[in-house]
Amino acid sequence: MKKRHQQKLIILSVILLFLFNIPLILLFNKGVAFMGLPILYIYIFFIWIASIIVSYLILKKYYE
Amino acid sequence: MKKLLIVDDEPNIVMSLEYLFKKEKFEVFIARDGAEALEIVKKNKLDIILLDIMMPNVDGYQVLKYLKENKDFKEIKVIILSAKNKTTDIELGLKLGADKYIAKPFSTKNLVKEVKQLLKLKYI
Amino acid sequence: MSSFLVISIIVVYLAFIFYVAYWAEKNSKSKWVNNPYIYALSLAVYCTAWTYYGSVGLAATSGLKFLTIYIGPIIIIPSWIILMKKIIRITKGNKISSLADFISLRYGNDRFLGALVTIVCVLAIVPYISLQLKAISETFNVITNHTISGNSIINDTTFYIAILLAIFAAFFGTKYTDATEHHKGIITAVAVESIIKLVFFLAIGVYVTFYLFNGPSDIYEQASLLPNFNSQQTINGLGGGFNWFFLSLLSMVAIMLLPRQFQVAVVENKRERYLKKVAWFFPLYLLLFNVFVIFIAWGGNIIFQNQGVDADLFTLMLPLKNNNEFLALLVFLGGFSAAISMVVLSSLALSTMLSNNLIIPYGFLSKYSRGESKENTESIKNIRRISIFSLIIVAYFFYKNFTLDRSLVSIGLISFVVIAQLAPAFFGGLFWRRGSSKGAKYGIIIGFLVTAYTLILPFIIDSQVIESSFVNEGLFGVELLKPYDLFELNLFEPVPQAFFWSLFFNITVYVIVSVNIIGSYRERNFAEMFVDNSKYASLHEDAYVWKGEAYVKDIRKVLIRFLGTRRTERALNLFFMKYKMDVNNQLADARLVNFSEKLLTGSIGSASARILISSVVKEEEISLKEVLSILDETQKTKETNKELQERDKQKDDFLDTVAHELKTPITSIRALSEILLDNEDVDYETKNKFLSSILNESERVSRLINNILDLEKLASGKEKLDLNKNSIKSTIHKSVEAVTQLAINKKIEISETEVTDANVIFDEDRIQQVIINLLSNAIKFSDKEKGKIAVRTKINEHRIEVSVEDNGKGIHSDELISIFDKFYQVKNQTVLKPVGSGLGLAISRQIIQSHKGLIWADNVKPIGARLTFTIPLNIKKHEKVIDSR
Repeated sequence: MKKRHQQKLIILSVILLFLFNIPLILLFNKGVAFMGLPILYIYIFFIWIASIIVSYLILKKYYE
Repeated sequence: MKKLLIVDDEPNIVMSLEYLFKKEKFEVFIARDGAEALEIVKKNKLDIILLDIMMPNVDGYQVLKYLKENKDFKEIKVIILSAKNKTTDIELGLKLGADKYIAKPFSTKNLVKEVKQLLKLKYI
Repeated sequence: MSSFLVISIIVVYLAFIFYVAYWAEKNSKSKWVNNPYIYALSLAVYCTAWTYYGSVGLAATSGLKFLTIYIGPIIIIPSWIILMKKIIRITKGNKISSLADFISLRYGNDRFLGALVTIVCVLAIVPYISLQLKAISETFNVITNHTISGNSIINDTTFYIAILLAIFAAFFGTKYTDATEHHKGIITAVAVESIIKLVFFLAIGVYVTFYLFNGPSDIYEQASLLPNFNSQQTINGLGGGFNWFFLSLLSMVAIMLLPRQFQVAVVENKRERYLKKVAWFFPLYLLLFNVFVIFIAWGGNIIFQNQGVDADLFTLMLPLKNNNEFLALLVFLGGFSAAISMVVLSSLALSTMLSNNLIIPYGFLSKYSRGESKENTESIKNIRRISIFSLIIVAYFFYKNFTLDRSLVSIGLISFVVIAQLAPAFFGGLFWRRGSSKGAKYGIIIGFLVTAYTLILPFIIDSQVIESSFVNEGLFGVELLKPYDLFELNLFEPVPQAFFWSLFFNITVYVIVSVNIIGSYRERNFAEMFVDNSKYASLHEDAYVWKGEAYVKDIRKVLIRFLGTRRTERALNLFFMKYKMDVNNQLADARLVNFSEKLLTGSIGSASARILISSVVKEEEISLKEVLSILDETQKTKETNKELQERDKQKDDFLDTVAHELKTPITSIRALSEILLDNEDVDYETKNKFLSSILNESERVSRLINNILDLEKLASGKEKLDLNKNSIKSTIHKSVEAVTQLAINKKIEISETEVTDANVIFDEDRIQQVIINLLSNAIKFSDKEKGKIAVRTKINEHRIEVSVEDNGKGIHSDELISIFDKFYQVKNQTVLKPVGSGLGLAISRQIIQSHKGLIWADNVKPIGARLTFTIPLNIKKHEKVIDSR
């Protein structure tokens, strides 16, 4: 896989590091419910699923 | 009359070989590339083929492979006439089943002798 | 449920797992065993009984914090494509078989460091193994309705299970002395267990969420009525945020450095490309595993409100309370699978470290250097087997005496923090050349001491119920030294705090010592090889710098003691073949020394290998500077060699093609001439035809020879251009006239209407040659009668552009550049005759380049090709143009 595409994955890691931690995660730190569940919970799992999909797409497209 | 097929894309070489073998009383067929060669092979009961290697589309090796893998055609004698004369080329040709490998440029007298020997004709 | 039933089921299940491992070993080439999913699933050994029970317990008592254990992996796994690839390459390239070997090798093959890492790992993991045994024991008791009593060992089922696991690990794990051999049986079994534990956990998740309750929102609504609910579902402000951060960092380290993870991810990796699947598959697995955790926890909290049920056991208690014994059994088996995978894999990884980095280097080397290969290999295998049994038995006793009351999670986290002490040495070793072995050693030691102070000591005090004011008031009553709140920061919970301070001191010491004390040249050699792995990887044994005197026969003797005669000879033959050396060579060079060390590393570890080999060779001291410059030189030489070889090959290919092109016309000339000579009765017509052909072919030969010479002259700059001011329009016209007959023959039109005149300085003959070449190509590739060719010019301030456009079949887009090469298929010469224009375009390009111009081709719409060149209006005044190809 070309270097610049590999770097996309590194960037993904860095983005996840920020999304999953303070201060960004505190945005969703209300004890409110969203779609019947705590919003923080939804946020975390949403990012989780998104990261799986993004990884999958990047690899599918650029891995020789 | 023995049937001989010339497979080469160089018109002048074909011209010389055609004259040469018609004089030796062969029935001569001509093909400019591998595809044409296979067509002719299928339609006629050939005795011997003079085969060039470097041709567009289907090359000589592919023709040779086809012939030797086919029980109807594997008895046809094949002489490779090629400008490629590295040991690896010669080995490959013989491994694929050619009966003789003659390098270009060749001597016409020698070529006729080889053809007759392979067909077990008396050499004059 | 009766004990007998459960025990039988356990036995059947273990037999099944045993059979899976056995089948995988028998069919080790099958695609069911060698595929990326098995690899990815084996990584799931990260989820142990802790995940099965402890996560739920943690979620029930502290809310979302349980997710931090998985967030670390989720964050770091995308980077594994680069990170893991590097680690795997270094590992495979050096025949490393464990984490201790990796670190020890990086820091100059340091024996003590390897032993230190091993001890740290053992101290960290044995309690972790106890944890699994505790989980098995407790869940067994729950499902069979026993109460936990002071069982003697004979009556304790867990003891027998522990023994069985040791047998399993020893049987499938110590088949080969070379620890770098893949343990396909165990790995496949672990992968199968990963599937089983996930499926069963999902089953219980679905059961609780949709059967015991009416879906997630229902549980949420009911749970929200419980006390402390809101605070659990959120992060507690800044402090909570820091705890969260450090816990994720901790798990990020754990997923890589836990010995069992290093074993499955690195040592057992068969192909790098498996990482592609892992990048998305493993996070997906973790997601599926964690989706229902919170619901089970809430469900448990709701149903078991105020009943004093241990939250760790919710997963099992919920189906039992509802008399769903079958589901409870599934849960039990799932947790059981999770536990035994961990136990087997960890004991395997630890046993390799114990044998290769602790026991053999410090005890058995002199024995081995005198022994026969059969004895030595048996001895090594036995050491590993004994290690496996000892580890598991010690873990069993640890569980019996220590872990009775603490929750699963806290012991696990302590384990994580201890392992994390290896992180600075490991990651520093990968990316920082200056990282030295002394730095690593002191860093690890001080990190461990801090961890002991802030976590282990208080834990022991608590669990043994020792009276002590140590925890509450600090060492000697100094409040600043309270283990759970060093320096009274009052910011962290115990585990993140310990992690923070221990790594703080660890990294500080590592960096300061590394910067102040320069490592040995051996260290530096390995540091270069690790950090710059991609640069040195292709050098293999050449990257190892070593000076001294060594004899092949001495090295051979040592190798035979471990590999036996046949394997030694085979390996040495391969080595001599690889470096094209004579088999009867007597003197051994650096490459052979390195090669031999690597051969032994798998069996006895890198430190021991080095010790053994250095005992039979005489090494000379070299300075650090020498090492670096030799490495640099070696690497540069390899590059230049490659370039020179490439160029040689190109020259050879070119000469071959030229010879071939010449032979063809000569063949015709000879054959036709011979026929004419040998036959007097050739008729007039035929004689004429033959003679003209002979003439044509002779011309063809001289044309070819002239072209080649021309090309060489132009390329080498030997011929000076005859530059004059010329009218471009008249040159174009002359060129068109020269090819007019060819065009008429094919009924093709050539138009010059869009040619504007200009006076330009160029060599008229040569530029005419170029335009004629472009026109002849255009004619050749245009269709009869339908062909239209147009010549155009465009003038701007500095240069003039001339283009020849046709409406023929166009040029394939990947050939637009290569058509300008000499016989342009020289590099990938296939057997088929090149359909290109031979040398014409190559010569044209050379001419244009000599005029400091550019020439290129593109395709036009709707169909056709256009060849364009530009030359400066006044080349004499022209500044240097960057030649872009």
